[in-house]
Amino acid sequence: MYILSHTCISPQTTYSGSFLDGKVIEYLGNKYYTIEPDYTDVIPRSLMRRMGKATRIGIGAGMPLIKKHENIDGIILGTATGGLRACVIFLDQILQYDEGTLTPTNFIQSTPNAVAGSLALMSNNMGYNNTHTNLGLSFEATLLDAILLLEENEVKELLVGAVEETSEYNYNIDESAGFFKKTEVQSSQLLKSNTEGSVRGEGAAMFVVSNSKENALCEIVDVIQFSFPQKKNIEERTLSFLEKNNTKLDEIDALVLGFNGDSRYDFWYDNLADHFKDTTIFSYKNLIGDFPTANAFAVWLSCIVFEGKNIPEEAYYRKSVKEIKTILIYNHYNNKQHSFVLLRLP
Amino acid sequence: MKKVFVTGMGVISAIGNNSEDNLTHLRNGDTGIGKTNYLESNYAQTHLFGEVKMSTSSLKENLKMTQKGLTRTDLLAFTALEEAIKASGLTPNEISSEKTAFISASTIGGMCLTEQLYNDAYSNSDTTEYAESYTGNAHALRIAEVYKLSGVVDVINTACSSSLNAIMMGARLIKSGRANRAIVGGSDALGKFTINGFNALQILSKAPCKPFDEERVGLTLGEGAAYLILESEDVIGEKKRCAEISGFGNSNDAFHPSSISDEAFGVVAAMTKALKSASLKPQDIDYINAHGTATGNNDSSELYGIKKTFENFPPFNSTKSYTGHTLAAAGVIETAFSVLSIQNQELYPSLNFEKPIQPFNQTPIISYQSQQKINFAMTNSFGFAGNCSSLIIGKPQ
Repeated sequence: MYILSHTCISPQTTYSGSFLDGKVIEYLGNKYYTIEPDYTDVIPRSLMRRMGKATRIGIGAGMPLIKKHENIDGIILGTATGGLRACVIFLDQILQYDEGTLTPTNFIQSTPNAVAGSLALMSNNMGYNNTHTNLGLSFEATLLDAILLLEENEVKELLVGAVEETSEYNYNIDESAGFFKKTEVQSSQLLKSNTEGSVRGEGAAMFVVSNSKENALCEIVDVIQFSFPQKKNIEERTLSFLEKNNTKLDEIDALVLGFNGDSRYDFWYDNLADHFKDTTIFSYKNLIGDFPTANAFAVWLSCIVFEGKNIPEEAYYRKSVKEIKTILIYNHYNNKQHSFVLLRLP
Repeated sequence: MKKVFVTGMGVISAIGNNSEDNLTHLRNGDTGIGKTNYLESNYAQTHLFGEVKMSTSSLKENLKMTQKGLTRTDLLAFTALEEAIKASGLTPNEISSEKTAFISASTIGGMCLTEQLYNDAYSNSDTTEYAESYTGNAHALRIAEVYKLSGVVDVINTACSSSLNAIMMGARLIKSGRANRAIVGGSDALGKFTINGFNALQILSKAPCKPFDEERVGLTLGEGAAYLILESEDVIGEKKRCAEISGFGNSNDAFHPSSISDEAFGVVAAMTKALKSASLKPQDIDYINAHGTATGNNDSSELYGIKKTFENFPPFNSTKSYTGHTLAAAGVIETAFSVLSIQNQELYPSLNFEKPIQPFNQTPIISYQSQQKINFAMTNSFGFAGNCSSLIIGKPQ
């Protein structure tokens, strides 16, 4: 499966492109919010007003790609929670009005498939349409779904991507589950913080994928995911995953790792990095924070690397002189859900 | 492409805590919709629902589960899953194989705990027990942990068509050779969130739903879970084949966030794709388990779509007249009922039907019919945001 185009709305200026001029935004504390673009040309004002953030950034990232590629055959998105803010607003109403007469707008917006549905509606796309919601593996399932669909030879081009919004409510819930840092830390120091918990980010990254390598930026060779692995499983599965894809360890030129500064769980990345002595390592959660579908940003970053764009220093965890033709992405969410994505130049 | 067979299933719904009980109710035309015993909502006083006839604590006791933070959605899922695994005879090694996928679906997830979620969202809770229980995937993560799953685990949320898409995803993983077994299904419990949502949309009926009736006034919400064990022809051996997954189609209606177009574009596209993927002609379909929610919009659009796709209507019913609309579980519960129709070569009556919708003038199956010839059955599910899906299962040859 080949990537033809991409967009990204994130806590960095990834949409406008000034991120690539080395202008990295520093964050202090636990919440990294998206820098939203001007949606004037993408979303009619009348619709904008009623949209939650997940829908807004999802459409803001997705519609320009749909407009650019006129023959999109289907839309597949991953999101852990979709419009969670709308969901809690509706919950508020239920309790505040004691289940009285309510307006349905927030209920409709709260369903995670609203983003893929809105994109289909706005572009009159009646093709395959699906939304994966397996928390930290939602985006990976999206890639797998697209790989299958392209293999089945029914379609040629698909819009795939991920979207996540932060609301104070899911922040509070995740905070009580011990997800976040207890003391404020600068984003530049996040990966060295050596304390428990991480920081929360949000964003949308979208891709047009095709089964043809014509005009492709890179190839997504394969994706694999597993839940609750043991330490030794990761080693075994790294090797078998690469072997299955006819790739040797020393053919991996760069790793994109999901370091999030959580002293409890970053060891997974160190363990993997030990097997790759001479590779560049990129990190990204120090730029955009952590969230269930953050891995879509790792794929976006890989695209930028393959395109030979200027990557901000802050994204380099370790630098090597090796030319980058093959990238392995490894990520886990909350220690439980792990994944690999293998990419290479076409 | 590998052939994919159903080798076992588990169902819990308002008409029974296992497949056998569900079958008995279907044969007797005995609905599960009625006054609730466990639901905490003002609407429990005024409306009827398809509630599972077990309390949350007895579901938990039955499963002998002691974990903290389990929700009703989780427990319904575990109950149906346990039955499905037993029915198919999957071994622990087979379940935890890297080549076994688990694809599930839920819309409400742990949000059935409305007050608890509210308190957690506002940091007013004195417990953190449920902090990781709310997401739609919470049940799947627990199942992955308990059953030591090591293959693909996925959860789909396309609203009311979720579990039909879960069945498709599992079947496609097997057909591609990436998996040789897939456990597919979904679970949704009743909760204030969805009850108030559908009520706000003014499509929640007080009386039992009347699918395909001219005077239908809306849907009845239900709850439940079902899982199917799908196995590739490569690994199935001598096992009993309950049905074959013959074809499927997915399309977006691209018309409205919460209703289907009058011309039923997505509905027609999903059914047409399903026929094409099964290499079947419309006349090959012997029975349709319709989406049939009994909303004004759905039933007339669905009839329009069936007419456009089939010209002549195959026998059809809506088993939501037994279970209520079980949302993310609907597609798989109704596919399980289609499997029963195929296995037993019989059709079950659609309930509460009196007067056909015009101009279609179509009467669903209204009495129990045995000794039928049912080679292929279609199940339809359509969801918010335009998500339309259609699945065809066949009698194993």
